[in-house]
Amino acid sequence: MATQAGRLTQAHRQRGLFAQQEAVIAAAILVMTFVVSLANPDFFSATNLLDIAVNTAYIAVAAAGMTMVIVSGNIDISVGSMLGVCATIAGELARNGTPIPIAFLAAVAAGGLIGAINGALVAYARIPAIVVTLGMLSILRGGLILVTQGRWIESLPEEFFFSQRSTLGVPNPIWVMIAVTILVGLFMKYHRFGRAIYAVGGNAEAARLAGIDPRRVYMFVFVMNGLLVGLAAVLYASRFTAIQSNAGQGFELAVISGAVVGGVSILGGTGTVIGALLGSLLISLIGTASIFLKVSPFWLQAVQGGLILLTVLVDVVRRRRRA
Amino acid sequence: MKKTLFTRSLSLLALTGVLLAACAAPPPAAQPAAPAQPQPAAESQLPAGWKAGIPKNPPDRKGKKLVIRDVPKLIGIGYFAATTKGMEEAAKELGNIDFKTDAPTEAKIEKQIEFIDNFITQGVDVILFASNDPVAIAPVLKKALDQGILVVGYDADAQEDARQFFVNQATFEAIGQALIEDMVSQVGEEAEVAIVTSSLTAPNQNRWIEEMKKYASSKYPKLNIVTILPSEEDQQLAFKATQDIMKTYPNVKGVFGLSSVAFPGAADAVKQAGKCGQIAVVGLSTPNQMRPFVKEGCVKSVVLWNPIDLGYAAVYAARAIADGELKPGDTVLKAGRLGELKINGSEILLGPPFIFNKDNIDNFDF
Repeated sequence: MATQAGRLTQAHRQRGLFAQQEAVIAAAILVMTFVVSLANPDFFSATNLLDIAVNTAYIAVAAAGMTMVIVSGNIDISVGSMLGVCATIAGELARNGTPIPIAFLAAVAAGGLIGAINGALVAYARIPAIVVTLGMLSILRGGLILVTQGRWIESLPEEFFFSQRSTLGVPNPIWVMIAVTILVGLFMKYHRFGRAIYAVGGNAEAARLAGIDPRRVYMFVFVMNGLLVGLAAVLYASRFTAIQSNAGQGFELAVISGAVVGGVSILGGTGTVIGALLGSLLISLIGTASIFLKVSPFWLQAVQGGLILLTVLVDVVRRRRRA
Repeated sequence: MKKTLFTRSLSLLALTGVLLAACAAPPPAAQPAAPAQPQPAAESQLPAGWKAGIPKNPPDRKGKKLVIRDVPKLIGIGYFAATTKGMEEAAKELGNIDFKTDAPTEAKIEKQIEFIDNFITQGVDVILFASNDPVAIAPVLKKALDQGILVVGYDADAQEDARQFFVNQATFEAIGQALIEDMVSQVGEEAEVAIVTSSLTAPNQNRWIEEMKKYASSKYPKLNIVTILPSEEDQQLAFKATQDIMKTYPNVKGVFGLSSVAFPGAADAVKQAGKCGQIAVVGLSTPNQMRPFVKEGCVKSVVLWNPIDLGYAAVYAARAIADGELKPGDTVLKAGRLGELKINGSEILLGPPFIFNKDNIDNFDF
C-alpha cells in the first residue's frame, strides 16, 4: 500500500512547473523581499525579517497540521476557536500557579482532545468535516466567551513568555516553526502512515482496497492537527503581555490560506508542509510589504484574496490536465 | 468511488467562498437605530420636532418616593457593576429612592425584555436601561411608557421614541478632542503620529478619526497623521501593525490605539521593541485591559468615560423627570457633583471623557 501511495504522489511530482508550487512560492518570496528592499532598505533588516518570521510562526505550526487534514481530503475550520481555547487554558493555568511546562502541555493536550472529537465525528459518525468543524467552531467560541466573560488574562508570570525569548540569538517561535515543519514534513514524506494520508486523500476507495483504513487516517490527522494547534496556541499566548479573550478569531482562514497558497490542494491528495510554511510566509510578507511600500491597507485584502483565488485556479487547471 | 466533477467544483466553490469571506470579513456593524416614528403630540407643550417618548398619564411623583429599577445589558461584569455603583451613590444622595439593578447574566435581548416586563407588572416608577438591541427592546419600553412609567436609557440607546431621555456617555467630538489633547501633551504639537484602528469600516472608529483629524488640523496643524492601519479586533494584527509602523516611519513619536484590542496590541509592540517612553501610546480602552501597561508606565493614560458618573447621571435624570424639573426642550440638567450637564435634544451629555492614569486606575474594575 505504501508503494501505491508513493506512486500516486510520484505522478503528481512529474507534472512540470505547476506541480512545483513550493518552488514558485519560494521564488516569489525571494523576489518580493528583493524588490521591497530596493524600495525601502529597512525591509531587509534582520529585525524586520525576524519579526515577519515570528509573526508567521504560530500560523505555520497550525498550517502543518492543516496540511495533513486537507491532504487527507478533509478540512478543519475550528482551529481559530481551538487556538483561543488552548491559549486560555495555558494562560489560566499559568496564572493560577501551575508550573509553566505543565500549563503548556495541558494546552497541547486540550488541542489533541478537541481534535479527537472532530476526528471521531468525521471518521466514525461520517459527518462531513466542514459540518463537524463548523459546529465545533461555534461551540468552542461560545464556551470561551462564557468562561472568560470577555476578560483578558493578565498578570502572567515572567517565565510564561516563551515566545518573547530567544535561543542562540533566534526567537523561540522560529525554532518551533522549523522543527515542526521538518518533523511533520519528514513524517508525511517517508513514514508509511504519512504516505497513507496522501493515498486516502487521493482516492479513499482505492486506498481502502489497498488495505488502508481511511477512518484511522482521518482520526489521526485530526488529532495531530489538534495537537499542533495547541502548540500554536502556546506560541501565541506567550507572545503578548495579556491574552485576548477571543483570541484566534479568523485564524482558521490565515491557516487555510497559507496551506492553499503553498500548494496544498483543497481537493485532497497533494501538498506538502514546506509548501504550507512558504504560503504562510508569503501572505505575512505581503502584509508587511504593503505597509513598507505605503500601499493603502484597503488594497491588502484584495491582493491576498486574489492570491488565494489564483492558487486555487492553478490547482483546478492542474487537475483538469491530469483528467 | 470517484468524486464527480460536479461535487468537486461544488466543494471548491464553497471553499473559495469561505476563503474570500476571510479576506474581507466585515466587522460587526453597529446596530443602526431605526428611524424614530413621529410621536403624536400627546401633550401640547412639546417642543416642535420632539421625537422622544412620553409616558401616558404619569401620576404626580414630585418629591415622592421613587422605585427605580435598572436593567443593564447584563450583570456580573465590571462595567455595569460600575454604573450600578454610581446609581446607588446618586440614590443615596437624593434619598427617598428605592433602587435596584437586576438584569440577565448574559447580554441577551430576550431575557432583558423579560426583566423589563416583570418590572412593568410590579408597577415600578422608573426603568433605566442599557439596551442589547435598540429595535427589539422598543416595544417593551413603549409598553412601560404607556403605563405611565418613566423610561431613561444610558450607555446603549433604544429607538428614540421608546424612551424619554438618554444619557450619552461621550460624543464623537469629545472623544476625538481628548485623544488629540492627550497625544499632544506627550509628544508636543509638532510630531508624526499613526493610528491603529479596529477595522477600516468600523463606524465608531471612523467617526472618531474624522473628529481627531478635524480638531488636529485646526488646532495643531503640525501634528501629522502618517498612516491609519486596521487591526480587525485582533491583538496579533494590532501588534504587527504597530511593529511595521515603527519600522516604516522611524520618526513616529506616537501611536493611537482606537479600540480595546488595538490599544493593548499597540502598547505591547512598543513595549517589546523597548521603546517605552520614546513612543507614546494613546487610545481608548478599558482600565482592566490597559492596567498592566499603565502600571509599567508604557502607557500614561487611557481615554474613556467614567461608568460610575454615567450611572450617577442617569438616576439624577430620573429624579428630575419625576419632579417635573426635566422636561422636553430643556438644555441643562443639574446632576449633583457632576454639575450642569448639557442636553442635546433628548440626549443628556455626560461631558468630556474621563482619563484613567496610574493614580486612579485601581479604583475601576471593568
